Amino acid sequence: MRTVVLITVALAGGACREPAVRPPAIRFLHTFGPQETELFNTTMVERGIAVESLLAPFARGQQVINEILHAQNCPDLIRIDATWLPGLVAGGLLAEVPAPLVALDWTPAAAALAQLGGVWWSLPQSVDGLMVIHDPASPAPASPSLADLLAAARAARATTGRYPLGVRVDGYWFVPWLRDEGGELAAPDGIAGDGAVRAMTKLAALFGDLVPPPPPSGSEDPEEMRRWDAHEVAYVVTGPWQFAGLHDRERIAVSPLAHAPRGGQLLVVPRCAKHPDDGWRLAGELTSLAVEARFADAFAAVPTRRAALEAAPALSRAAEAALSDAAMLPREPVTPLLFDDLQPALWAVVAGDATAEEAVAGVRRGWQRLTRPPAPPAQPTQPPEPEAR
Amino acid sequence: MTGERGRVTASLRWRVLLALSLAAMVPTVIVGALAIMRARDDVEREVDRGALAHIRALGAGLDGTLQDARRTVELAAASWADAADDVRATQLLLKRLRRVVPIVHSLSILDPEGALQFGDPVPANLDVGLHSFGGYIGDAEYTDGRPVVHLVVQARGRTGELMGVFVASLDLGFVRVQLADARLGHGARVVVVDGAGVLVAARDDRHGAEDAAWAHGPVSLAGTDPAVDRALASTVEGTLSANGWVSAYRNLSSYQSRRGLRWAILHQQPERDAYALARETTRDTLIIGGAALAIALALGGFIATRLTRPLAALARHADAIASGSTDDPPPVHGPGEIGLLGQRIDEMARRIAERAALQSALARGDRLASVGVMSAQVAHEINNPLTTVLGYAKLLQEGKPDGHPDREALELIASEAERMKSIVGGLLEYARAPRQTASMAAATAASSAASCDPAAVLRHVAALLEPQLRRTKATLAIEVTATAPLAIEAHALQQVLVNLAQNAAQAMAAADIEGGALAIAARPAPGGIATLITVTDEGPGVPPADRGRVFDPFFTTKAAGTGTGLGLAVCKHLVTTAGGSIEVGDGPNGRGAEFRVVIPHAT
Repeated sequence: MRTVVLITVALAGGACREPAVRPPAIRFLHTFGPQETELFNTTMVERGIAVESLLAPFARGQQVINEILHAQNCPDLIRIDATWLPGLVAGGLLAEVPAPLVALDWTPAAAALAQLGGVWWSLPQSVDGLMVIHDPASPAPASPSLADLLAAARAARATTGRYPLGVRVDGYWFVPWLRDEGGELAAPDGIAGDGAVRAMTKLAALFGDLVPPPPPSGSEDPEEMRRWDAHEVAYVVTGPWQFAGLHDRERIAVSPLAHAPRGGQLLVVPRCAKHPDDGWRLAGELTSLAVEARFADAFAAVPTRRAALEAAPALSRAAEAALSDAAMLPREPVTPLLFDDLQPALWAVVAGDATAEEAVAGVRRGWQRLTRPPAPPAQPTQPPEPEAR
Repeated sequence: MTGERGRVTASLRWRVLLALSLAAMVPTVIVGALAIMRARDDVEREVDRGALAHIRALGAGLDGTLQDARRTVELAAASWADAADDVRATQLLLKRLRRVVPIVHSLSILDPEGALQFGDPVPANLDVGLHSFGGYIGDAEYTDGRPVVHLVVQARGRTGELMGVFVASLDLGFVRVQLADARLGHGARVVVVDGAGVLVAARDDRHGAEDAAWAHGPVSLAGTDPAVDRALASTVEGTLSANGWVSAYRNLSSYQSRRGLRWAILHQQPERDAYALARETTRDTLIIGGAALAIALALGGFIATRLTRPLAALARHADAIASGSTDDPPPVHGPGEIGLLGQRIDEMARRIAERAALQSALARGDRLASVGVMSAQVAHEINNPLTTVLGYAKLLQEGKPDGHPDREALELIASEAERMKSIVGGLLEYARAPRQTASMAAATAASSAASCDPAAVLRHVAALLEPQLRRTKATLAIEVTATAPLAIEAHALQQVLVNLAQNAAQAMAAADIEGGALAIAARPAPGGIATLITVTDEGPGVPPADRGRVFDPFFTTKAAGTGTGLGLAVCKHLVTTAGGSIEVGDGPNGRGAEFRVVIPHAT
């Protein structure tokens, strides 16, 4: 009889289902990738922090955040790219960081990212930027310069007969070449000189020579990882965000890249947050030594706290060292928008659809449009007749 | 005693029944519970899988339709961007786009500043998001009485420069049409929501695709349906049970709002319907389990009764033995050790009965022994008068000439006196013979030296039996075909045959057989060294079970007080003393009894 009772109780217990959805606690809008999201969720569960996550695609994150904040649909904490910070600050959308959090042992690069105009508007969650990774069997470039990187790649091609260098057709990757020619990702002057044309010409010339043809847009990440794992490339210009997807991290050596952009991911609390204290509490958790160490172990992310950096894996520390001379992009609200025109132009040149001069001219027009004061939308004076359906 | 035995038997029966019930119930309950839990888990898993597979298929169809439209518009935008100033070509392009993309509700081309260049007017409040990478699918809106979304595609020319923006309003009616083809389970519904949780289309198994959701404008399910909230917060797919509903959700990857939030498709079904199969399985399992349990209990009761019945019979048997009942209880049959125990108890009871009978016979034997001693004394005492009677009879006989009328009577007196002396002597001899081997040897020697004519003995026996046979109305037939003298005293053979004949006559009389035939025949035995004398009757015969014991002393089947059980024992003693044998079997044609006496020939 006791057995029957126990089984009945067990059945009754099994029939009970857990409550469906826990009431939202800290609302967190983030741009983590799938693997980072998984680790984040696991970490929060383990630390007993109830978080209601909102996902925003990185590519349109800035617009999404602006819309959400202007709609007063505020999360308590937002993870943003460092290039978005000036726009949000300019819009007066962010709250300042509480002093106790500012006083933590941030690395200099992280502290620089988190501030704007000397004010702490954010907590740095990770530092990233472009660098060169290569197999330890391949010698490091003689110097961080692009010339020495290309020389090393040409030497590697002579050895393997393969494309030795991995570079992405992306405006962010174009920045070192642009800077090397005296330009900058700054509208409108950054693209005004001949240097931009030379930079685009040089970068485009690499494809099919030292750099394998670019994969279709949207499939860059898996294709780069495949090429790396297959040893089809000896040197790859990339950032820490890609470490998580690379196998054999122990065989990865890191070298600095001259004129590389440096950026990172920041945690901000909007002014409209209903529970800003909860937002800062979650930010503190995400930048705690334990969580930073966990992300560094899992993804070789570059920690933003000195203690976490000292305890981080070798690859994370090497990446941080490689970024020491990298420079942040101009900290202007328009900066992230510049890629919208730059990237299609770069693609056009690489594909051979346009010359660098034509593409740069188009970019210049686009950037001028971006920097003009917004005008009220104008209706066409002579709208065409509706065509027959 | 009986009450106690009844309580013990009942207790044992209930204990056996309890043991069998537990043996049946425990595995039934465990297996049933496991089956129920397993069925529940399997059904839940299959429900989730099925729902996910369903919305994957539906989502793929929706994705395909939208992606076709998007790619077509993107290709058109790219082509237009290289000849943006050609008005005629632009109008032709728009016309073709409307034709090849039937879900296009309105189509517009804006310049890089956001001003309308070609096509339909753009809603004033529409933020086309000029600087979004590539383009996007906007949130669902309610325009001109129908749900639409705005597809925004950047038109970049050969150099990558932004030449304009294509804005295509897509009629979401195709979502409802595609959902209408979905085959749904009982109570199930499929809903598609945009990134804000606004219901784009819905269908349930009873009403088909719904337009009602839009009758009063856009309806957002965000914040009201936990499954919708979960779906919008996820980038993949999953399942959720909440508020009595089982939901499977999946992001529609190609449907993203301008805010980048993905649409979602959900399959929802009440738990009671989704898990109906599990409930039915549970019910069937309980019914089958209950029936199996009932059958097991019935069988257990039957088996318990079967097991305890022989024990009860054994108890009764033991009681009968203990009480000394003379009733012969039926044998106890049972399975295995119980049957063996019954057999042993039967055997024990039989031996106890035999011992009791033997003790009784011994007691009677003691009495007969006393009688025998007295008989021997009497025989000794009457032996002298008999000698005198015999002497005088012979003396008188000698004095009578042949043919004298008294001579025959005198001879009869003499011969009867001789026989009486022989009987008395045999009785004394028998009383002494089993315990006096030497006497037996001497008797055997004497018998071997003796000789008698079987024909004469048989005739003499017939004469002796005549009065008794006349009283019992039995007939006697004598047949003598053997002439060889026999190695046995004539008196001994006469005593044997008279005993056998009297037993036969008494048996027939006891069986109320009048005029029964009694036959004594003497014929040569096979081998030619002995004579076979048979005594047959038409009485009830000797049962086979008794045939081995009829020659034992004191064994009798006659009514108490009418037999001593010594007659056949004396016969066997006399025959075996003469070196012969005696046995009993069925009479001719299976009727009556036949005693077969074999006496060796005199040498």
